[in-house]
Amino acid sequence: MKSITRREFLATTSVAAGTSLLGAPARTTAQGKEIVMLGIWPFTGAFSDVGPLLDRGMKLAIEEWGNKVIGRPIRYITRDDETKASSATRRMEEAIDSEGVKVVIGPWSSGVALACTEVAKRRKVFFYFSGGTEDIAGKRCHRYAFQWAASPYTAMHVVVDNYMKLNPSHKRWYLFVSDFAFGWSVEKYTREAGARHGIEFVGSDRMPLGTREYSGFVSKAAAAKPDVLCLLNAGQDVIVSIREAHNFGLAPKVTLLNSWGVGTEDFMQLDAKTRENFWVGTNAYYGASTPVAKKMAEMYQARYNAPPGYAPCAAYGMTRLTLRAIEKANSAEPADIVRALENWETQDWPGKVWVNGKTHQTVRDYFLLRCKKPDQMKHQFDFADIVAVNSEPRMPDSINECKELGPV
Amino acid sequence: MNVSLLAGAVLNGLVTGMLYALMGVGLSLILGLLNIPNFAHGVLYALGAYVMISGAKAFGFLGGALTAVAAVALLGAAIEYLGVRRLYRVHPDYILLLSFGLSLILTETIILVWGPVGITFQPPPLLMGAVDLGVTAYPKYRLVVMAFTAMLVLGCYLFVTRTRYGAILRAGIEDKDMAAVLGINIRRVFTLTFAAGTGLAGLGGALMTPVRGLLPTMGIDILPFAFVVVVLGGLGSLPGAILAGLLVGVVQSLMTAIWAPGADASVFVLMTLGIIARPQGLLGQR
Repeated sequence: MKSITRREFLATTSVAAGTSLLGAPARTTAQGKEIVMLGIWPFTGAFSDVGPLLDRGMKLAIEEWGNKVIGRPIRYITRDDETKASSATRRMEEAIDSEGVKVVIGPWSSGVALACTEVAKRRKVFFYFSGGTEDIAGKRCHRYAFQWAASPYTAMHVVVDNYMKLNPSHKRWYLFVSDFAFGWSVEKYTREAGARHGIEFVGSDRMPLGTREYSGFVSKAAAAKPDVLCLLNAGQDVIVSIREAHNFGLAPKVTLLNSWGVGTEDFMQLDAKTRENFWVGTNAYYGASTPVAKKMAEMYQARYNAPPGYAPCAAYGMTRLTLRAIEKANSAEPADIVRALENWETQDWPGKVWVNGKTHQTVRDYFLLRCKKPDQMKHQFDFADIVAVNSEPRMPDSINECKELGPV
Repeated sequence: MNVSLLAGAVLNGLVTGMLYALMGVGLSLILGLLNIPNFAHGVLYALGAYVMISGAKAFGFLGGALTAVAAVALLGAAIEYLGVRRLYRVHPDYILLLSFGLSLILTETIILVWGPVGITFQPPPLLMGAVDLGVTAYPKYRLVVMAFTAMLVLGCYLFVTRTRYGAILRAGIEDKDMAAVLGINIRRVFTLTFAAGTGLAGLGGALMTPVRGLLPTMGIDILPFAFVVVVLGGLGSLPGAILAGLLVGVVQSLMTAIWAPGADASVFVLMTLGIIARPQGLLGQR
């Protein structure tokens, strides 16, 4: 076989390199024109049931905008975070490097978000997250990160204050707490709000996310004879603990109160009997009556034959507000989106929202729902009544650990 | 800890312990006879659960459980005949790699077929709700599973110790080469034993679907405890696996009641203490 000479090798590779460069300006131009938005969602792992729902919500918002903003096409890409910080950060970095991502929406897990926010800070990309950890708008705050969900301080006060208003004699509470950032935050403020009502926390258990065996915890809870079993856990853990509470005869005589729940998607996994005496605090319920919320619910239901829960509403809300901020700034540069969003008070999902310029916490309504009995339901998705909606009390600046956001 | 809580914890421990014993017996059969730590045992437990829910839609709860056992046992036989058997004469690491690779492949297959989302599954209507036992109320389904699994595990023990095939199995565990020289078709024994061991894992998964729900990675959760049971009970010892399974289940459950974060760690502490006190296992010979 004839061996290739050095001259031939250099000639061949030069032609190949030159040909590839012909496409480069076009690719660069295309990439410079389009706005790449990343949805970092859990398609596998502990929150794998939520990933596709978040994807739906974000797509819905982008399609509502006609897949473009400020005259530029939007390219929506996703990456699976596997509900793991290591996978999420690696894939986020890869998307920023290879796809030119400037806007990141997600993830879902608070633990994963605390890792992703560091990437956003270092790479200076816009980052919007919805979850229960207070640290994104607290001690880990920075100029590029925003928190869409209600502050756990506000959320737990809305839940506890309004539940106790309707059930003043229910003073004995037992807590199930997911043992990670989300659980610790909501537990802290549940206890604080509970103290104001003289609630006695007769017991609590912390369990890892993804716990499948709740028999021991439910037995312990039953032995403590609580009035309320407060579920501060997440994902399928909520469903498993509800079923076990019924299997062990604890519910429905004891109230099950899921203080930070997804609402609709959980309701659909439970039958009417299992929903009896089940209360849920949530960032989103499709029954919200504001124009944006109603329209989104109609669009979602028309496409997917089911009402949206917290996950798709969150993805929709974050994406919609981001697109509006891009329009307001007339720019898709992260620094400009940040400045457009800060201190902005506007009507969006679920109603009036205000983005706190000092902490980047989105101040918005939080809902308390009470599940209906089967004979009270007007249709198959009429799961619950909204018993309270409030964006107060706001977390006092004095206790917020976000002291300095830093520059863009 | 009051009496009600103690009673509940012990009952929970016995239910979990029976599951561990079932997994341990299956794993012990395979490890004892074929000398293979089957890293695919956990995913076969998961597969049993998933086949159960699909089978239950067509054939009801009992039909679903039988379908799960048959499907996983057949798969186990196929794995041994087509895979493991080809590697008996090479370094044991290759069998380890095969079982580990299979566990990854089967986990991804579960995700492809049934999706990545967790699934909850109800027991049959007749077994829903709780029974008042005086000291505590306890779910009917769990009581039935405990009783059934106890009978099954006892049945396995009697089969191995009182039947001709059981004697062949014990002979193979003790000295497979001698058993072959004596005219026993040891290859057939291997295949059937692998099928039986994996079938037990599939049955464990099927029975636990209403208790623990389903998740594609559920096999990864249970596999370490299955290995603890085998090590603690004694390699290849079925009575040892049964005793160790119950012990591990009860200790884990009691620790959940006393200090939940230490529940899983307590199992490994128990194993360590057991190995130090009796390196051959509770009822092991070698």
